[in-house]
Amino acid sequence: MTRQEILNELKKVISPYTTNKEMLAQINEDTDLLKDLKINSANLVDIIIDAEAKYDIEIDYDEADKMMNVGSCIDVISEKIGQKQQ
Amino acid sequence: MLSAGNDIVSLNAINVTRTKQPNFYSKILTLTETALHKQPGFATIPFEIFVWLLWSIKESAFKFLQRIDADILFTPVKFEVNEIQIPPGFNLPGFDDVELTGIGFDGLNTIRSTIKFGDHIFYSNSLIYKEFIVSVVNSNQDFSQTHWGIKRIDSNETDIQSAEVRAFLIDNLPDKNIIISKNSKGIPILLKDKQELSIPISLSHHEYYIAYSFQLPV
Repeated sequence: MTRQEILNELKKVISPYTTNKEMLAQINEDTDLLKDLKINSANLVDIIIDAEAKYDIEIDYDEADKMMNVGSCIDVISEKIGQKQQ
Repeated sequence: MLSAGNDIVSLNAINVTRTKQPNFYSKILTLTETALHKQPGFATIPFEIFVWLLWSIKESAFKFLQRIDADILFTPVKFEVNEIQIPPGFNLPGFDDVELTGIGFDGLNTIRSTIKFGDHIFYSNSLIYKEFIVSVVNSNQDFSQTHWGIKRIDSNETDIQSAEVRAFLIDNLPDKNIIISKNSKGIPILLKDKQELSIPISLSHHEYYIAYSFQLPV
């Protein structure tokens, strides 16, 4: 999957947890999940669990703590998909 | 270490089924922490509430430390609650007030814990109601100058929550003509006459509940 494809899928994962749909429509790799999308930190674990299910990967919290903006989420997901394919 | 850290979790907003799944709670709790729920006294606290209690304690400790080191990341399992005490015969009360404020926690039915993160040790007091959990953290056990407040509001929109919690804190500060701003790292600070005050604050909101804490020197 390309980074753009992951980003498009990630939008769907994040969507239930943000009311800022306008910002969601125009997210880029620098978009911050908490500050820009106003996602409550209590939903961060939900996003990780949903991403795990969507991509059939496992993300432990040592990696998840980096998932603060869209670009770092794509980094982690992309790396996990790569490991799965090896 | 003078700082402030608090957190609020609205219990109406949590997903009970998901919280009880090991793949969910194992991202928040270590095995040692999971075992703490089996301590005598915690039988009246459902496991899903225990998970979010520890989340709120850990996030409060993170916010306390983040004010001093803005580059740290929030990894819940690295903020380990190694001791937690519940008042004997504790039962979840309902929150009948619109707002509640206090200085320190003497005489209140709080759950107290000790948290370790690297070489740092933190102490917490948590108030649990059927509706929400509020935790407040300090770097020592003296909460006598820890001011806190909880309020129910009519909107769950982020911008309104944010404005309401700021107004609530301003109303309860010992000094007037103070405004709340953010420093270059995005941490909330108090300004008076454009000068930053050395009073650390912490703000939180979740659904229809907001909470603040601030710490004065002991």
